[in-house]
Amino acid sequence: MTDASTRISDQDSLWYKDAIIYELHVRAFQDSNGDGMGDFRGLTQRLDHLEQLGVTALWLLPFYPSPLKDDGYDISDYTSIHPSYGTLDDFRTFLDAAHTRGLKVITELVLNHTSDQHTWFQESRSSRDNSRRDWYVWSDSVDRYQQARIIFLDSELSNWAWDPVSRSYYWHRFFSHQPDLNFDCPAVREEMWKVMRFWLEMGVDGFRVDAVPYLVEREGTSCESLPETHEVLKSLRRRIDESFAGKILLAEANQWPSDVRPYFGDGDECHMAFHFPLMPRMFMAVRLEDRKPIIDILEQTPQIPETCQWATFLRNHDELTLEMVTDEERDYMYDEYAKDKSARLNLGIRRRLAPLMENDRRRIELMTSMLLSLPGTPIIYYGDEIGMGDNLYLGDRNGVRTPMQWSGGWNAGFSTADPEQLYSALISNPVYGYQVVNRESQRRSEHSLLSWTQHILGVRKSSRVFSRGSIEFLSAANHRVLAYVRQWNNERVLVVNNLSSSAQAAELDLRHLAGSIPIELFGGSLFPRIGQAPYLLTLGPYQFYWFRLRRF
Amino acid sequence: MMKANPIAIEPGVPGPEPAELPDDFLRQLTAAGEVDILLFVPSLNNRDTIGHVMNALQLGLVKYFPRERTAVLNADGGSHDGTPQVVRDSIITDFRAFLAANPLRTMHRITAAYDNSKGSWGALELLLSAAELMRAKACAVVSPDLLSIAPEWVESLVRPIRRQEFDFVAPIYHRHKYEGLLIKNLVAPVFRAAYGFRIREPMGSEFAFSGQLASRLLESGGWQQRCCEVGPALGVMAAAIANDYRTCQSFLGPRIYQSRRQEPDLVQVFQDSVGALFQGLEADHACWANRDGSSQVPTFGFEYSVALQPVRVSRKRLLQGFRLGVEELGAILEAILAPDTWRAVQDLGKLSDGGFHFPDELWVRVVYEFAASYHRSVLARDHLLQALLPLYRGKVFSFVMETERATTAEVENRLEELCLACERLKPYLVERWSQEK
Repeated sequence: MTDASTRISDQDSLWYKDAIIYELHVRAFQDSNGDGMGDFRGLTQRLDHLEQLGVTALWLLPFYPSPLKDDGYDISDYTSIHPSYGTLDDFRTFLDAAHTRGLKVITELVLNHTSDQHTWFQESRSSRDNSRRDWYVWSDSVDRYQQARIIFLDSELSNWAWDPVSRSYYWHRFFSHQPDLNFDCPAVREEMWKVMRFWLEMGVDGFRVDAVPYLVEREGTSCESLPETHEVLKSLRRRIDESFAGKILLAEANQWPSDVRPYFGDGDECHMAFHFPLMPRMFMAVRLEDRKPIIDILEQTPQIPETCQWATFLRNHDELTLEMVTDEERDYMYDEYAKDKSARLNLGIRRRLAPLMENDRRRIELMTSMLLSLPGTPIIYYGDEIGMGDNLYLGDRNGVRTPMQWSGGWNAGFSTADPEQLYSALISNPVYGYQVVNRESQRRSEHSLLSWTQHILGVRKSSRVFSRGSIEFLSAANHRVLAYVRQWNNERVLVVNNLSSSAQAAELDLRHLAGSIPIELFGGSLFPRIGQAPYLLTLGPYQFYWFRLRRF
Repeated sequence: MMKANPIAIEPGVPGPEPAELPDDFLRQLTAAGEVDILLFVPSLNNRDTIGHVMNALQLGLVKYFPRERTAVLNADGGSHDGTPQVVRDSIITDFRAFLAANPLRTMHRITAAYDNSKGSWGALELLLSAAELMRAKACAVVSPDLLSIAPEWVESLVRPIRRQEFDFVAPIYHRHKYEGLLIKNLVAPVFRAAYGFRIREPMGSEFAFSGQLASRLLESGGWQQRCCEVGPALGVMAAAIANDYRTCQSFLGPRIYQSRRQEPDLVQVFQDSVGALFQGLEADHACWANRDGSSQVPTFGFEYSVALQPVRVSRKRLLQGFRLGVEELGAILEAILAPDTWRAVQDLGKLSDGGFHFPDELWVRVVYEFAASYHRSVLARDHLLQALLPLYRGKVFSFVMETERATTAEVENRLEELCLACERLKPYLVERWSQEK
């Protein structure tokens, strides 16, 4: 079990299964030119931090030219860099530097729609005879596809929007300034493949594919997850495999696991997909002090092909989405995690990990422990490794997208610009302000959250049992204790988590592991050999153990 | 005005040493940990009905208390019909088949055995121990033989404690006018006059109480003894009232239960119920003696009405029983009753069937004189209670004749008159009680 033995190599086409992904926004990470906005040169300067932290892949939020009406998901040019973030050369430099450090890079691929400012749409709307007219979905009436739901109910009345230029309606599943591309048009599919090839040839290691369920529309259906949509994805996957082995597709489909399952196909569609429903249930379990929500959802999670992997996360750039929970569960989450109603947004809670855990280090560690020891490839949101806070006074989800806090100095070390010039105000309150929560101060302490995170990531990477192993839940009678055994080949790890704020005793039935000696993975301590009797463990509040099980 | 005289629970008096809890039971309590709601179902050979009861309770918890930490505790007194196995098997795996809800938390079912030689106290002791160890905020007791129980019963019993900070919840059942005649004509009116609270079912088998009250009860040795004597329901309620715990009642609906093969006869039921009432009066004398009048008790739940199975009453047997008792037990009745009362009772025996009427005031004097004699141990208590039974039959005959065509509301009014008579004559009870033995 050495780091070296499992170091992710370019030769390993399943690298994504062992990866630890770090999600970041270029704009929020590091400003190199003093304009108040992060950029690729700045990000490149900060790669040391990411390498030392121990993550193995970076997921970059959209960095393309865009009117930025939807935080960059409204792309107006797929093969360039937004001028605020630098140039293509800057990106290439960053990419090379990341690869040199063994870091993979995953970028955003917004297939479903473009900005209405994209030249493709400008041409398409210019006349009904334009050669790009059928690149988008046009109609003379709003009667088509009436069974498709409206996703952004707060802001959109219809999935059709009137275009005064060509005097017809265009289809949009998201905002009306984001017209949907028409994937029934071969030219569109070809053009999007060109976009993908552009970045893959540059060296990008994969794409997070935005809003995958909505690519194709058919009359009389919900226009979601249609067979034709899967065919588009399979086709793209075939082309990737033919020319770019080892590059991946990560599907974003906020749906129940059984509904996401088809996006893996027979291992011939997406390599990965987010497991959305697990995340709120981890928060729920810790507040309820009951393992039931976690076990329930993982038992509902279907098997996926050997070459596929779930992507799991605690927090990301969006709100803590509560779409995949019941009404009762949503009410509970709101009551427990968003008593301040300003924290509620859409069907979710716009907060970071540390404020959600009330800055309780033990709970933050427990949540991280579960994220890293349950099946799936974990994704860490930038700033959570140091326990950054959020700013509810900023609108939409901007409160969780504030500048990274590098130090207690000028602008938190993020930028040399005047503070007023920053794209967003820094967090500066007495609890989470950059003066107290920053990378520099935590780097100096062996006991900081940053140091601890670095350590646990190292332990996670020390064995593929966490990334590839099977899971078997142990039915400890104490429901406040979540215990499971991960197994991969001959390796076994026993994980025991106390979800409660009080000390707990747990008796585990480990008879099938009798003879094994548990070795605590963080300190290397030996525990008594497992026998036929129930194995008794006591755990302090929110404490957890990771044991490697060995036979001697 | 009522004067509180809280004496019933005496924390300083050590009780009998509780039996050591079995390891397996403790293990289950450890696993469940702290709970907000603990539901309790004692059982003894209830295989046919207990599964239904367990399901109703679990559904009630899911439906009405989805966020609360809950456990259902079954204590079995030594069933030989497989009751514990039915309890263990009563897992509702898919709540969505019943409700548009899913429990947020693990639902715990705890099974244990209680010492049946201690009677119902053995079961209650187990519940109180569990409540104390699990720091339960609310406990509810439910019979294992219920056929009419619905998930709503859980809400009715528990909500007043969890949401409105009451300490004791008595049930109100929807009863046919001739159902529960002993409660209506004797137990409830006397309890109300003595303790000063208008509780309709002082001996209801279903009731709930707060964790705070449970802890006080557990540490009070004197109360445990009383509970052994008067039964759990009356014992807990009397303790709550005597100590000024907040008490309320909740409407549950019709109470239909499975008949036992060997139903206890009226003599046994009468002895148990009236004996418990008199025993309670004896124990709580200092509490009730100075109370005047009665107070309304907060009542929850919508009292809906349904057509109930008519209860058949044999008028002929009632009247015969009365006349025979007066004739054969004359010597005993004369020793118990005041001379005026005894004469009036004898006069009743001479009335024709159609002209029979047992006046409320006379009935109340009879009961109070019996209660005082019970206190003074004029004769063996079992014999004393047996001597009251024929007179009770006469009162019931009179009640049935009066209310034959009465509506539910008219019956209620009639019973209210009886209750008021009990209150009016309470000084007479106090006076008789204080007479030298």
